[in-house]
Amino acid sequence: MRTPTNSTASVNRRALLQQLGGGLGMLGAAAAMSSAERLEAGQAGTSAGPHFPPKAKRVIHLFMNGGPYQGDLFDPKPALEKYAGTRPPGADLLTERPTAGLLPSPFRFRRHGDSGLEVSELLPRLAQHADDLCVLNALHADNPNHGPALLQMNNGTIIPTRPSMGAWFLYGLGSENQNLPGYLVLCPGRPVRFSILWNSAFLPSKYQGTYINHSTIDPEKMLPHLRNGRWDSQTQRDQLDLLQQLNATHLSQRGNDSTLAARVEAMETAFRMQSEAHEAFDLQRETKATRQAYGEGHFANGCLLARRMVERGVRFVQVYYGNGQPWDTHSNHDKTTRKLCQDIDQPIAALLADLKQRGLLDETLVIWGGEFGRTPTSENGNGRDHNHHGFTMWMAGGGVRGGMTYGETDEFGFKAVADKMHVHDLHATVLHLLGLDHQRLTYRHAGRDFRLTDVFGRVVDEILA
Amino acid sequence: MLRLAPRSLAQLARNDSAATGRAKRDRFGGRRWRVAVQWTLCAALLVGAEAVTVADDAEGVRFFETKIRPVLAEHCYGCHGAEDQESELRVDTLDGMLRGGYAGPAVMPGKPTGSLLLTAVTYQDSDLRMPPDEKLDAQQVADLRRWIEMGAPHPDSGDTPAPRPLGEIDLEQARQHWAFQRPVLPRIPALVSPGLKPIDAFVFSRLDDAEIPRPGPADRATLLRRATFDLTGLPPTPAEVTAFLADDSPQAWQRVVERLLASPAYGERWGRHWLDLARYADSNGLDENVVHAHAWRYRDYVVDALNRDKPYDQFLVEQIAGDLIGAAESSQTDSPAANRPPDDRPAYQRRNERLIATGFLVLGPKVLAEQDETKMEMDIIDEQVDTLGRSVLGLTLGCARCHTHKFDPITHRDYHALAGIFKSTRSMDSYKTVAEWHENVVESPQQTQRYEAHQQRIADVQKQLDQRIAAATEALPEEQREGKAEELEKRFSPEAREELKSLREQLKQLQDTVPERPMAMGLDEGTVEDLAIHLRGSHLTLGDVVPRGFPAVLTDPETPELPDDQSGRLQLAQWLTTGDHPLTARVMVNRLWRWHFGRGLVATVDNFGLQGEPPSHPQLLDWLAIQFVRSGWSIKSMHRMIMLSETYRASSRFDPVAASRDPDNRLLWRFPPQRLEAEAIRDAHLAVSGTLDRGIGGSLLTLKPREYVFNHTSEDRSTYDTKRRSIYVPVIRNHLYDLFQLFDYNDASVLDGDRESSTVAPQALFLMNSPWIRRVSTSLAARLEALPTPEQRIENLYLLAYGRRPAEAERQGAERFLKTFASAYAAKASAPPESDDSPASPEAAAWQALCHAVVASHEFVYLR
Repeated sequence: MRTPTNSTASVNRRALLQQLGGGLGMLGAAAAMSSAERLEAGQAGTSAGPHFPPKAKRVIHLFMNGGPYQGDLFDPKPALEKYAGTRPPGADLLTERPTAGLLPSPFRFRRHGDSGLEVSELLPRLAQHADDLCVLNALHADNPNHGPALLQMNNGTIIPTRPSMGAWFLYGLGSENQNLPGYLVLCPGRPVRFSILWNSAFLPSKYQGTYINHSTIDPEKMLPHLRNGRWDSQTQRDQLDLLQQLNATHLSQRGNDSTLAARVEAMETAFRMQSEAHEAFDLQRETKATRQAYGEGHFANGCLLARRMVERGVRFVQVYYGNGQPWDTHSNHDKTTRKLCQDIDQPIAALLADLKQRGLLDETLVIWGGEFGRTPTSENGNGRDHNHHGFTMWMAGGGVRGGMTYGETDEFGFKAVADKMHVHDLHATVLHLLGLDHQRLTYRHAGRDFRLTDVFGRVVDEILA
Repeated sequence: MLRLAPRSLAQLARNDSAATGRAKRDRFGGRRWRVAVQWTLCAALLVGAEAVTVADDAEGVRFFETKIRPVLAEHCYGCHGAEDQESELRVDTLDGMLRGGYAGPAVMPGKPTGSLLLTAVTYQDSDLRMPPDEKLDAQQVADLRRWIEMGAPHPDSGDTPAPRPLGEIDLEQARQHWAFQRPVLPRIPALVSPGLKPIDAFVFSRLDDAEIPRPGPADRATLLRRATFDLTGLPPTPAEVTAFLADDSPQAWQRVVERLLASPAYGERWGRHWLDLARYADSNGLDENVVHAHAWRYRDYVVDALNRDKPYDQFLVEQIAGDLIGAAESSQTDSPAANRPPDDRPAYQRRNERLIATGFLVLGPKVLAEQDETKMEMDIIDEQVDTLGRSVLGLTLGCARCHTHKFDPITHRDYHALAGIFKSTRSMDSYKTVAEWHENVVESPQQTQRYEAHQQRIADVQKQLDQRIAAATEALPEEQREGKAEELEKRFSPEAREELKSLREQLKQLQDTVPERPMAMGLDEGTVEDLAIHLRGSHLTLGDVVPRGFPAVLTDPETPELPDDQSGRLQLAQWLTTGDHPLTARVMVNRLWRWHFGRGLVATVDNFGLQGEPPSHPQLLDWLAIQFVRSGWSIKSMHRMIMLSETYRASSRFDPVAASRDPDNRLLWRFPPQRLEAEAIRDAHLAVSGTLDRGIGGSLLTLKPREYVFNHTSEDRSTYDTKRRSIYVPVIRNHLYDLFQLFDYNDASVLDGDRESSTVAPQALFLMNSPWIRRVSTSLAARLEALPTPEQRIENLYLLAYGRRPAEAERQGAERFLKTFASAYAAKASAPPESDDSPASPEAAAWQALCHAVVASHEFVYLR
């Protein structure tokens, strides 16, 4: 377990208590804090920082919830034509539901950029960034059902009581912006399994993700209760001063208590959020050109919000494509995929260009993918089932090599066979890019040390820039 | 180790393999989603150990040498031979095959279905296929099967000792774990202080030993607020505060405790604690989030049981096997210690109540659309085993589903012995997707009569109808009697047709008005059967059949065997509640302690296994467990015992000296301060603002039985708009009430005896800006307005919200604030005009602001 410092929280509180006009004997009480309370207070603040110099300071995770089919997008498999409709050995892996014969993808691929990376015709604008993409073609996971797979992708395990990766990032690195939550989850609706996917579990609760429903982009709707609606800022400040004074009196009568001190701090963060978060979440402040570049729709708004957040030092932003599991194409796969790709192509391309243009891409790791992929075999003629045996994700920026693919699936694209990368390996690698050693980033709980990668995970050096 | 959902097993299993340093993944041990693959502890081997009888006849060995060894050598030795042992498996020796690799023993002599070697070469399991490149030919596979059937004769048979089972458990050693030993009545430490209660003697002696000063008492107002929230989840009323502060008789405190225990609000509060263990919810959750329309009956049963101080043993027996208890066994255990009113309800009510109680094991989240019905059934059983194990025994039994428990002495065999009991129980009526859980009819004789009479009337009218048709058909000329029914009817006389029409209307009317039968989720007996060990947790790979029973480490030769004609649930319940069970009473008293003090004597309240934390006060725990049983398992007796102690009545004041010696307050040098739970915050807000609806019981759901809870586009939140106590607010899995979610309500899908208490900015935003808090502060301010003077209002505000009178400085501070705020407000007139609850005047605004600050403050949301 790393030893957290007790810097920020105590300093903030001390400042706050001074601000509250002393006379309450608080400094004396603060000085009498036990070492355990210092430790606790420290945990409530910022942790010790990276283990080694990071390549990426922030992460944007574009989450295609439901599971996109890799064979349509980044992992072309010409052999499917040859075996269409049949189930040769290797094409009969067990997935969630029964599937029939192999179903070729109707979408064409072309090579792009200097790297000649193969990208599908469904993603023409993203293809222009081929030389930035590090396409991971041999991801694999343990479970073909949405819930467990979402948990594994987010929390490293299908056990629903473990901290999410974002919580680990914050625990390891803290936040760069004290006026905004350090870990934001954007979704125009609710992904399946919901808040468990960004919980902090046994990590201190300040590391949990803050969920924002951006189906309307009015900042006040995205952040409920952000506005007081009753008092103006000064009046509210007057009232908050009273509240904090009540709290301070209470605290002084109690001797000392780090939880209560953290609560005083949370009130102040919330107060600051009222002014700053509104501005940060207000897409109206973007130029028309920028808005147009990202295009329209929830996902475009999510990408643009993500950029605004990382710009302000938010450590981790997840953008879920949509409510429920929109990429879950058990039927009408081709048609739905075409539409989904139209929704994501322009915004992602714009995001990459925007980050690059602002000099942020080098330090921002962009991750794209679902909780798993889909089968090369057909479900009910025109659908595809979940596939955890082999699927594609890609990363860009933040210290990864662009213009490359890593890993291979079998000739049907069903199963990862070469340079396989388990979700644990993905997590280990992302932590590495953030300057964190996945084996050293531990937290002691219930008598043992826990890690995001549990006892697994390999940093995939081959893709590091 | 926590194990919370059926599908977590694969993960856990992998933890296990890795924990022993063998995390290597390869083809044989390849990941498989249904089941754990990489498990090291080969329970099956353990099970099979006694059955290993390897044939060694010369004929058999010749068969092996000519038919089997060449195949193994050509196709297997490369990866599983002397050089390499992928997945820790080698098949070039008999020992290697019997011992097996990660996935289990490759060969179980005489048992082809339990032999993974055969599973692998038959390619029946898509993730376990050997040789990986090409399937053996049919003859080779047949030979392997034959060889295993023969008992796996092998030249080494003679001198191969039975291989050391990888997951062997030394039961005698395992029983040394403190929690597996029966509690022994400890000697109460003799302390100099006279008249000390036993609890205090145990606690203070530890403080004395550590040279930590004993805590002083909490002041009376603090104590009353603490106890009132603790027992009822509500704040004390000003009248209660005033009365207690004025009562200086020695029995004053005791009277408070009795008053609170007698309040119906007690069951609503402590029933909710139990519901956390029952993972209570009004919907299924997961992907098929359909309504548990009748779950509320179980909730009301729990509330009522707590209020009646139903003995905990009976409470458990009813929940596990209530359907199996006859009237004779139902009479309440009378105990001298328990001060319970007699249960004079009619027998049918008690019978229904016991049926309702069995909802406990049916409430879990289920994958109702699982295509593989056997898997669905095993997953549901697993959830039941896990819930029962953790809630009652404090053991993570579910961890043994795929493999012998990594940490606790629970074998794969133990798991299946217990699972067999639930396999023999009916929890589901249908496994066809969308599957349906079982429900029992819980009606009164009158309701039954009414229902049956109604059905009879339907039958009667139907009969009349049939007779009339027959008669009318008779009446037709013979040649017209042929043809379709509708055609025939057209030929009937107008009178006959009119009569039929009227009868049909009657029938329809009757069918439309069938009285709704009260239903309750619950159990019934199923087909009694023992379960085969599911190798690697998969129902596709079965091992030995295990007789139903209880975990070996907790049983002795006297433990009875289960009857052949019953599931064994009743016996299980009785075994758990024998009184000298090492875990049942300990686990429960520890939970009670946790809910009083915010932390258990065993901090890991749901895990008393080897991975759990040892008790901070082992003797106290044992003493409490024994008192609990002696009191006739009376939960209220335990509350009395705990709350009358000085330990409970201690001040929560921080002491730097004590803190330096015992930073975590494990020795209880102060009463641990606690934040109110989500429900208590909400209920207290409603209570102080005078808007709480104290109605008891019933359902607030507006959806039909088994209806899908919401679709994401048209979610209906109106059900959360109620002033009833929080326990009655519907619990919709995956869609919990925002306020609850924000303040660490339990997940409602998995049991949790130890809720979190987080502190995050979104909570602060809620308390600063939400419409909820605005309504609360407006109502509270309006309530105060009824009082004539500002002094009285401020005093009442403090009494209502903090359960104490304001200090003079506080009163002055509040008045100062009111004045300053009102004048600043008047100067700015900052209220948005469109707001319908805008304060009528700057003074009213100031009062609302004051009330708001008070109900959002530390002192309101924390107990000390």
